[in-house]
Amino acid sequence: MPAVIDASKCNGCELCDLYCPLDVIHMEGEVAVVRYPDECWHCGACRQECARGAVSFRFPLAMLGV
Amino acid sequence: MGSRSSHDLETDVAIIGGGTAGLNSAMAAAQAGCRVLIVDKANIVHSGAIAGGIDHFMAFLETGEPWDTREAYLGWVGSVARGAADLEVQEAVYCDELKEALERVERIGVSLRQPDGKIFRTAALGQPGPYAINFDGKKLKPKMAIEVRRRKCRVLNRVQVTNLYLHDGELAGFTGFDIRSGDFYRIRAKAVVIATGNTNRMFNAQVGNPFNLWYCPANTGDLHRAAFDAGVALANMEYVRMTIVPKGFSTPGFNAFFGMGAQLVNSLREPFMKNYHEMGNKAPRNFIVWGALQELKEGRGPIYMDCGHLKAKDLEHLFRTLGIDKDTLPEFLLAKGYAKDGAMIEMTVSEPMQARPSEVCGSGIRIGRDCASNVPGIFAAGDASDQMGCLHMATAGGFAAGRHAAAYAKKTAHRRPLATKAMAEEQARVFRPLERKSGSTYREFETIVRQICSDHFGPVKTELSLKAALEKLGRLDAARDELKADNLHELMRTHEAMNIHAVSKISATAALARRETRFPPYHYRADYPLSDDENFCGLMVIQKQPGGDVTTRLDKLRYAG
Repeated sequence: MPAVIDASKCNGCELCDLYCPLDVIHMEGEVAVVRYPDECWHCGACRQECARGAVSFRFPLAMLGV
Repeated sequence: MGSRSSHDLETDVAIIGGGTAGLNSAMAAAQAGCRVLIVDKANIVHSGAIAGGIDHFMAFLETGEPWDTREAYLGWVGSVARGAADLEVQEAVYCDELKEALERVERIGVSLRQPDGKIFRTAALGQPGPYAINFDGKKLKPKMAIEVRRRKCRVLNRVQVTNLYLHDGELAGFTGFDIRSGDFYRIRAKAVVIATGNTNRMFNAQVGNPFNLWYCPANTGDLHRAAFDAGVALANMEYVRMTIVPKGFSTPGFNAFFGMGAQLVNSLREPFMKNYHEMGNKAPRNFIVWGALQELKEGRGPIYMDCGHLKAKDLEHLFRTLGIDKDTLPEFLLAKGYAKDGAMIEMTVSEPMQARPSEVCGSGIRIGRDCASNVPGIFAAGDASDQMGCLHMATAGGFAAGRHAAAYAKKTAHRRPLATKAMAEEQARVFRPLERKSGSTYREFETIVRQICSDHFGPVKTELSLKAALEKLGRLDAARDELKADNLHELMRTHEAMNIHAVSKISATAALARRETRFPPYHYRADYPLSDDENFCGLMVIQKQPGGDVTTRLDKLRYAG
């Protein structure tokens, strides 16, 4: 999982969904969900826009382990 | 899917691609009094190469230093981009525009200065002096988005442009679809500026993820392909660009590392770049990539970025800068166990991409001094053009393209028509993958394209390897008609995959015609391993003729000295 959204912190503002340049994040009801984690560019746009600090990054083992 | 609606829009100047170049084009066209429509596949607040931030802007500032002049800058361009940079175009689109471009960046609210108020510049990439202004460009893209709204530009976010249309040989308009609603757009414009970046996802990437890339994975040559099909001439398409990236994570950072004085070492702890270029780690990018490839090939890998000799304050600046250019890079390095103490960082050579062979030119639509292509009404800017690259040229030249497009639009009395039949056919073509119940996915198709390109010209190539690639890529044509998509996100990716496939053929065809080596390894022909200035110092221009034949020609370039 690259971008990870903490559902308990998400207030449903939709900004991460709106600004993800890869169309990776989609709203599901009132919560933003990382629907296409394999297509994350790790650019951090979602985190920069999140006023609630709900977005963090978890690098896949393939990136960290090599 | 029957509920999708369609829309007919008209504008004076349309900007396709709302990255740095596109937004600067929009500012200029709006300033000239034109109605402007910006169309972006994502959202212009965070889209394109600097969606997450940018840390440097290259400029000569006329400070009195001998290297800090227009002439010295152009001399550098002529030496590091020889055969790819058209200096007459560069003077017009960059040098003449630079002062205003720097002022514009600061006017929209992004300081080019350090917190102490001073301009801090570093040198790398073969520069005769420190041209790279270090600055915090984390907010540059959002600020540009505010600026185009302030100038009353209309914005269509999340619309993927699918084709360009001409009428009597001149631009009529283009089509696109909303990647979330599925709405179809027919847009007529007097002039269009294409600013959609380069083509990524064409070659195998680190750790097997085609989205783990140095450049923006959303840039998939959509408008290179559409422009080519409309008869627009392209140049510099044969080049396959790479850089040096942290092992495991393909990110920018090259300029920051080398600008601050870091050095590459091999697994014997030997700095090796002086063996490949007299400027060592300050050499032009392609020489560093070449050196790294040789070290890895000859068994002296892994390679490392050695920062141990840097002063504490420089190390601190370096790590801060890396995070400005790539938001998540510092935490990646920490997660891999690197301390911020100058410990060596394992690096590797990035994935190849189809792009410009140097920071100071582009790869794509062949433009003149007025940023115009060979097709009336079609202009280009930024990485999508053959002469602009990087933030500095996208900012300066983007504005120039918008101004020229506006001038063209103003002298054009009427918008040209879009043929009804062609519009209906395109709408059917665009959505057809959604209707297929079975077939291949974009993932499978794209993986095959990447494998062919990686095996045959990523980056080493020969006549045989290129012809074999073209044969394999040609056989994939039939598979394009069997691609299926289950939703609109997949539909966007499906069109991207087809565009990557089309651009890979253009790139291989242009590479076949350049029977020499230039900027190795970016165009390394194993069967012609030497550069041949007499016959190939210039732009390989590739074009689809009205009958459908693809032709190449060399536009020779001349340089002083």
